[in-house]
Amino acid sequence: MELSFKSEIVKLRLGAGHTFHGEGILAVTKALLQSGVSYVGGYQGAPVSHLMDVLSDAHEYLDELGVHFESCANEAGAAAMLGASINYPLRGAVTWKSVVGTNVASDALSNLSSAGVIGGAVIVIGEDYGEGSSIIQERTHSFAEKSQMWLLDPRPNLPNIVNMVEKAFQLSEASSTPVLLELRIRACHVHGSFETRDNVAPRHSQRNPIRKPAYDPTRIPLPPHIYNQEKHKVEVRLPEALKFIQREKLNDFVEGDLEGVGFILQGGMYNTAIRALQQFGLADAWGKTRVPLYILNVTYPLVPEEIIRFCSGKRAVLVIEEGQPAHIEESINSILRGASLQEPLVIGKDVLPAAGEYTGEAMLNGIGDFLKLSGAAGVDRKAIDAVIDGVSSAKTRAKEMLGAAVPPRPPGFCIGCPERPVFSAIKLIEKEMGGIHVSSDIGCTTFSTLEPFNLGSSVLGYGLSLAAAQAVSPNLDKRVITVMGDGGFWHQGINAVANAVFRNDDGVLVIMNNGYTSATGQQIIASSPNLPQEEGTPISIESTLRGLGVKWLERVPNYQVSEVVEVLRRAMTTTQTGLKVIIADGECMLARQRRERPILAQKVAAGERVVRTRFGIDEDVCTGDRACIRLSGCPSLTIKDNPDPLRTEPVTTINSSCVGCGTCGENAHAAGLCPSFHRIDVIQNPSGWDRFMHGLRRGVLGLLGGAR
Amino acid sequence: MSPQPVTILIGALGGEGGGVLGDWLIAAALQEGLPAQKTSVPGVSQRTGATTYYLEIFPEKGATAPVMALVPTPGAIDLMVASELIEAGRAMQNAYITAERTTLVASTHRVYATAEKKIPTDGRYNAAKIIEAAPKLARKAVLFDMLKLAQEAGTVINAVLFGAMAGCGVLPLSREACENAIRNTGKGAEASLRGFAAGYARATSAAPVDGRTVAIESSRKPASSALSARIQAEFPEVLRDVLEEAAARLVDYQDTAYARLYLDRVAEVLAADREAGGEANALLLTRETARLLALWMSYEDVIRVADLKTRASRFERVRKEAAPKEGQIVVITDYLKPTANEIADILPAFLAEPLRRRAGAGRAMKLPTSTVRGFLAMRALAWLRPLRRKGSRYRHEQILMERWLGAIKYLALAARDVELPLEMAQCARLQRGYGETHRRSREAFLAILDDLADNGQALARGADALKQAIRQAREAALLNEACKPDPLPRREQAALYRGA
Repeated sequence: MELSFKSEIVKLRLGAGHTFHGEGILAVTKALLQSGVSYVGGYQGAPVSHLMDVLSDAHEYLDELGVHFESCANEAGAAAMLGASINYPLRGAVTWKSVVGTNVASDALSNLSSAGVIGGAVIVIGEDYGEGSSIIQERTHSFAEKSQMWLLDPRPNLPNIVNMVEKAFQLSEASSTPVLLELRIRACHVHGSFETRDNVAPRHSQRNPIRKPAYDPTRIPLPPHIYNQEKHKVEVRLPEALKFIQREKLNDFVEGDLEGVGFILQGGMYNTAIRALQQFGLADAWGKTRVPLYILNVTYPLVPEEIIRFCSGKRAVLVIEEGQPAHIEESINSILRGASLQEPLVIGKDVLPAAGEYTGEAMLNGIGDFLKLSGAAGVDRKAIDAVIDGVSSAKTRAKEMLGAAVPPRPPGFCIGCPERPVFSAIKLIEKEMGGIHVSSDIGCTTFSTLEPFNLGSSVLGYGLSLAAAQAVSPNLDKRVITVMGDGGFWHQGINAVANAVFRNDDGVLVIMNNGYTSATGQQIIASSPNLPQEEGTPISIESTLRGLGVKWLERVPNYQVSEVVEVLRRAMTTTQTGLKVIIADGECMLARQRRERPILAQKVAAGERVVRTRFGIDEDVCTGDRACIRLSGCPSLTIKDNPDPLRTEPVTTINSSCVGCGTCGENAHAAGLCPSFHRIDVIQNPSGWDRFMHGLRRGVLGLLGGAR
Repeated sequence: MSPQPVTILIGALGGEGGGVLGDWLIAAALQEGLPAQKTSVPGVSQRTGATTYYLEIFPEKGATAPVMALVPTPGAIDLMVASELIEAGRAMQNAYITAERTTLVASTHRVYATAEKKIPTDGRYNAAKIIEAAPKLARKAVLFDMLKLAQEAGTVINAVLFGAMAGCGVLPLSREACENAIRNTGKGAEASLRGFAAGYARATSAAPVDGRTVAIESSRKPASSALSARIQAEFPEVLRDVLEEAAARLVDYQDTAYARLYLDRVAEVLAADREAGGEANALLLTRETARLLALWMSYEDVIRVADLKTRASRFERVRKEAAPKEGQIVVITDYLKPTANEIADILPAFLAEPLRRRAGAGRAMKLPTSTVRGFLAMRALAWLRPLRRKGSRYRHEQILMERWLGAIKYLALAARDVELPLEMAQCARLQRGYGETHRRSREAFLAILDDLADNGQALARGADALKQAIRQAREAALLNEACKPDPLPRREQAALYRGA
């Protein structure tokens, strides 16, 4: 894993009366233990990976408490895990990145929410929306509505988040319904503090096992029960939930002295809205505001009584609801009109962006516009204009002074990434064969779609690249190359492989065998190497594929670009029909470095001979056409001012961040680029033989006018 | 006005320790008893992309926790920190730097984005503008090369950034609290503290803005005294630095006679330049032609490459890059792939032609140049230098150079204009690269000569039209290859659809 969580585990053990300092997502983890959770599962992904990571490091403590933790095969598996709460009074929580994870999970979620739960079931959703997100932009809210699961969107401060986790379990149990707790990226990563309570050991575990397996046919999704389950949702569960939300005051009402106006907002929007009000001089640092607020810590279901109460006597309310469709705004309208109220006017997406994150700027502009439009007495329109104009004039001045927009800097493959040479090879094979349709997948692999590779025509979901090529392949006269990570293979890809073998599909599949789900922080998967025993017994991808009946299968060491090119050429041109699979072997460089670096440092310290490798470019040999950069995109392969006074263009160089993977040199070979590349081996603690040879070389080369 | 949190936005690149920097700030704030909050959007940005960290620190000790924002708001940033210069520019363009409120602390070093690096010519963003704009757009600007300070202190840039932040006078944190925060992280604390101190000192110094001046010095020894004397005697002052450099380069490349040939050629261009009124243009035509001619005349054949790779100065440079510690040994292995064509280049024509006919992709080899065997193999090629003039490529290059020079002179005299021949002169930038790049660039160069320079009708359409045509053809050829997706495979791909 990318990080070690030893110090966080200490925080998980804190009892009553202590202060927890740390990240939002770890506060949630602690809150789960305080709520007497019996089992926790999930699938890793930013921004909720740390919940999984810390618990997987904390297995000793979880055993002590009697909490079962499991990394699931995918989000569907995680959602299905909540099935334990259908029949038993077990509190369970699972987590994943949404909306993608919720998509994968939705089959199980529908069944879960239809059957209903006895034990509290909570799904911690990392709402990966807006800046820093790497996925399609959709809302989890829609899933909550369609399956009638309740959705919490707590104000993002740690005490409130922790409180809401505990309330979520109670709400789930009070209404027999699974509850989604949504945290946006920044809320997951927010660093704050809260007063801890003692952890609660779950009622049942191996210490106190349930003796009688439950059987209840009404929990099975078959007729006639499915009809009753649906009715039960609207007739019993929803009213119970509404009662609970009101009784426990889950939503917040904040008073304000401005008359006729108010904001209804998602809990997650609260802090940004307050900041905007502060800038307009309408709130102080502690959130004392002149505009009345109704803050929805529960965004689904809405409580009609509360909405009507808040809206009464107001001429206009602003609904601050991020993303689309505007579910909340529409529902509020429908609630008000249903109650035959003609006022207030409900304003939302009219002044706030219909799509996209509610950034500080979006909020500032939207709230400013609303306040000006509302004509509320006590609003200083000039002050609002001054703030907003200040921002736009700063932008204009910057534009005038800088001219062109600064270059974008998207994420990309790390230095030494084993996927890079494979995509270099695909670019080279394209030079021979012309354009190739590359079906891309989720994960680090997706970076191939960016510069400088520009490889990958579609991405349809995690592990779905092979399936996504199914109808492309029969319509092209050239084979399609499908790329998939090993994480994607185990997540869903394996099904597509089985189907492709069974259907005798004629494609080429490259599986990046780098050992982990690397993009999410190098969590382990079924085929991870170097596992400690308690983590499980690795399953080889190769034998799995052979077991599935793959006939054409080759393995290739990634960094040998020429070999990768040859294997690709064979796969693309063989007359053999059926799926052709290339397992591209190369461990995630981040993981490898993390493992090897301390070992090597120890060896060096112990006086053992260790060779450190990096690559270089001869600045006087390079003529700088950058073909090497366009073929690799390595961050350490860069440019600098040309030391040659006659040359005006920069020269290509390799900076000291190089880890010596050799891709650039191998590319130079495979593509016949230029003779500038060289490998530099630094022999640490050289042996007597090394020193003898070195002396000899220096002597001879010195005589010949070479080395010093 | 009621007290407000101090807002801090840090723009950084993945892997620079921005997370740790945020942790230090939080730790220091806690020590001071100040409510503080930190958020970030690492996501996949940690994989080398641009990312931000946002913090708020409330400046009142022991205050009840205020409502602190999780997102930065333009116009409401007190301290903008950029770990790299372009990120400061990004902050300017997003209005996170405003003159009323924001102090900017930024490192002036550059980490080039792929979009800049991939350009075959010079795609670098004009970052000097960011340095210029900083003091005007920000309330206060603290700019210097923090990467350099970090390297000098043997630490990572985040420590220097932290020092500069602490020193810029915006944070409600004492130096002691900041240093304690570093000290408590344990690992590498000493180096981090050195970096912190260096950053702090610079930020509190009188002139915190350091606009880099780029000075490139020639390291070459001067050309022979006879050549120097001729340059002094025959050429005007404005050309001498280029000619001195070029003459030295060509003596080093071949011999004194070769450098004389060079000066003869430049003299002819100079005459044409003057004839066309180039004095008014500071003889830019001659200067550029002289610069590019020197580069072309020292074209990179295998003899040249072998020579450059077996010099003592090269071994020294590589050693410096590798930064070995005392007693460590550096071994250099060159990645070479000489093609039959490149070997044929240095052979006389009668031997070269049969070899070219069976030209293949070349033989990949990893030659350990720092060993006796590898060095000898490479040096042996360099020793062929006196025979270069007998090689098939030499003759070919000289003919082409003459053609190019002829075109420049012709255009200068025919159009009585120096801008048109300057466009032609610039076409020698296409003399670059090896293998495939070289071949493609040469084709483009020849096409320009054939279609535009040596074509009587081309000039008939007017100097301006021709100027533009040459420039367009040249720039397109220079930027060709993968900068834009190659149109050919796309067309081919479209044709691959059955029935299309």
